[in-house]
Amino acid sequence: MPKRLLGLLLVLPALAVIAFLFILPLIMSAVGAFQVEEAFGWGNFIKTFDLYTKDIIFTVVIVSLSTVLIGIASIAIGGYLTLGEHPVAVAILRWLYRWPMFIPFIVVGQILRTFLSKNGMMNNTFINLGLLTPLDAVSFLDWRGIVIAFVWKQTPFVALLVAGAMASINRDTIEAARNLGASRLRLLVEIVVPQVAMTLTVGLILSFVTMMSVLSVPLMINAQSPTMLTADIAFRVNSYGDYGVANALGLISLVLAGSVAWIYLRASLKERA
Amino acid sequence: MERDGFLELRGVASHYGATQVLTDIDLSIAKGEFVALLGSSGCGKTTLLRLLAGFISPSAGEVKVRHRDVTHLPPDKRGMALVFQSYALWPHMTVAQNIGYGLKLKGVARAEIANRVAAMQSLLGLDGLEARKPQALSGGQRQRVALGRALAVDPEILLLDEPLSNLDARIRLTVRHELRALQKRLGITAIHVTHDREEAMVMADRIVILNAGKIAQAGTPEDVYNRPASAFVAAFMGAENVILLNGTLEDDDFSIAAGTANVAGNVPLAGRPLASGPVEARFRPEAARLFEAGEIAVIGPGITFRGEVAAVSYPGGHWRHVVRLGQTEIMADGTQAFEPGTRVGVFVPAEALFLFKSPEAASVSPISRASSGKVHA
Repeated sequence: MPKRLLGLLLVLPALAVIAFLFILPLIMSAVGAFQVEEAFGWGNFIKTFDLYTKDIIFTVVIVSLSTVLIGIASIAIGGYLTLGEHPVAVAILRWLYRWPMFIPFIVVGQILRTFLSKNGMMNNTFINLGLLTPLDAVSFLDWRGIVIAFVWKQTPFVALLVAGAMASINRDTIEAARNLGASRLRLLVEIVVPQVAMTLTVGLILSFVTMMSVLSVPLMINAQSPTMLTADIAFRVNSYGDYGVANALGLISLVLAGSVAWIYLRASLKERA
Repeated sequence: MERDGFLELRGVASHYGATQVLTDIDLSIAKGEFVALLGSSGCGKTTLLRLLAGFISPSAGEVKVRHRDVTHLPPDKRGMALVFQSYALWPHMTVAQNIGYGLKLKGVARAEIANRVAAMQSLLGLDGLEARKPQALSGGQRQRVALGRALAVDPEILLLDEPLSNLDARIRLTVRHELRALQKRLGITAIHVTHDREEAMVMADRIVILNAGKIAQAGTPEDVYNRPASAFVAAFMGAENVILLNGTLEDDDFSIAAGTANVAGNVPLAGRPLASGPVEARFRPEAARLFEAGEIAVIGPGITFRGEVAAVSYPGGHWRHVVRLGQTEIMADGTQAFEPGTRVGVFVPAEALFLFKSPEAASVSPISRASSGKVHA
């Protein structure tokens, strides 16, 4: 018995940290979402859907689109690192692609703000190259800017996971397909990607959840409506002290993130069965 | 069999970085022939197979199929299919998808693929397993799926990279015969890489023994077993007993002078390129005949050694003796056991005694060390 107690004692600090700093605040927020002036009710949610339905859809669309683009980009990077036959190009890509991972979201927002604006570097370059007249230049500082920021920042992370998984698959399975005449693209799509599907899914889900919680990028790049839920939550709390609606928005974010995790859990259970 | 020209290698060489892996490989393989590439690990046999398959380009020389130069063609344009040592089945595809993938790549119609896959399954005894994933198959079944995948595209040449090495010892014996029977039935040309001497012997029409990236000998199993071209081949084919002898050339005979451990003997030259002077003699333990020192030696061409039994063990079927002959030890099998310490004679008949021009006297010694280790195993 004392041995068992000792074991419990050892995990207790960790358990306490999780309970008091994570689970308890979560429960309090969840409960708070249903509290309207000391009574329980749906008031906060009614208000949330009245004011922010567009933003919820906006968030889901932006994050989903970004996830898809991140998936495509990271498969392309991982695929080239695995199947590329030009050693110098592979080495350069291997060295380059991870850099955005070490740049904080706020800095990404800052960089892209100056890059994507109407008079930003991108448009200036296009104008100087004669591809664009100054009159046709438009600012990308809207939903497109957010998607670009997310994809730019999150692709290296997913690509890192995917490239690692691709490097560890049995090379013979690739050569067996080459032996039968598979082209490079078919090798990637039909042989390599299916074998790293689980890793890719995990990376994309982690990215999805990360993007759901980014505040700086929508604030920096998209200072207009509709915007993302994180900006709305910050606004409710900072401008109105309205914790009820903020909690409701938070809970909705949690449900969105949770549903993705659920899809992953189901897929992984099916894989094991 | 069109001996010349079906699959030909001319002066093929390959290097990996600064290391020369293959040097000057010349080989001509007939249609329908089963050739085993035999060698210890690192001898270049897998490199040679991958070079044939088109995964690596030779640094020199050319590979021809039916007089057509395929040296720089991509893997799928050579009419060859490779069966990998790891099988390399695609884990996300079912058995049927694995077997049919090559046909799908060739743009064969779906119904036709289904027919060919079903035919391949019944040929290989995989009926009813089409919906299984590779993880749900036994080792033997996986091996057959890998074979089916290679055969489905109807290759002219089947390349086998140690396909049996991952199987249980017992299954391996039956698969050897199945594979060989299948190859004969389909009339397909097969090149089989292995490090297993017995496997090569029972499966192949011809054995090509590789040593340090060069062909040490190529011939029928009987040839390489009974007429090894070099001391390396003799040792690789089991003649691990090695002794240095002195002899002189006398017409068609090679007469061996009496030494510290052997009495004088005479063996027919039989076309061997020997010169008077020191020679390296090799023989298999099972070729030796043991008798007590007092007995009269067996009459016939050959050579008799005299020594003392150092150890005896029973590996099954016969008694294996370690016999000390002066400085060296040899192994000799006998139907009866001689106690350690017994003075014995060891007779090796001429046809089982392999003589080679002696290299440096010093470079011969390591064999006896290896053999004494085996006795205690």
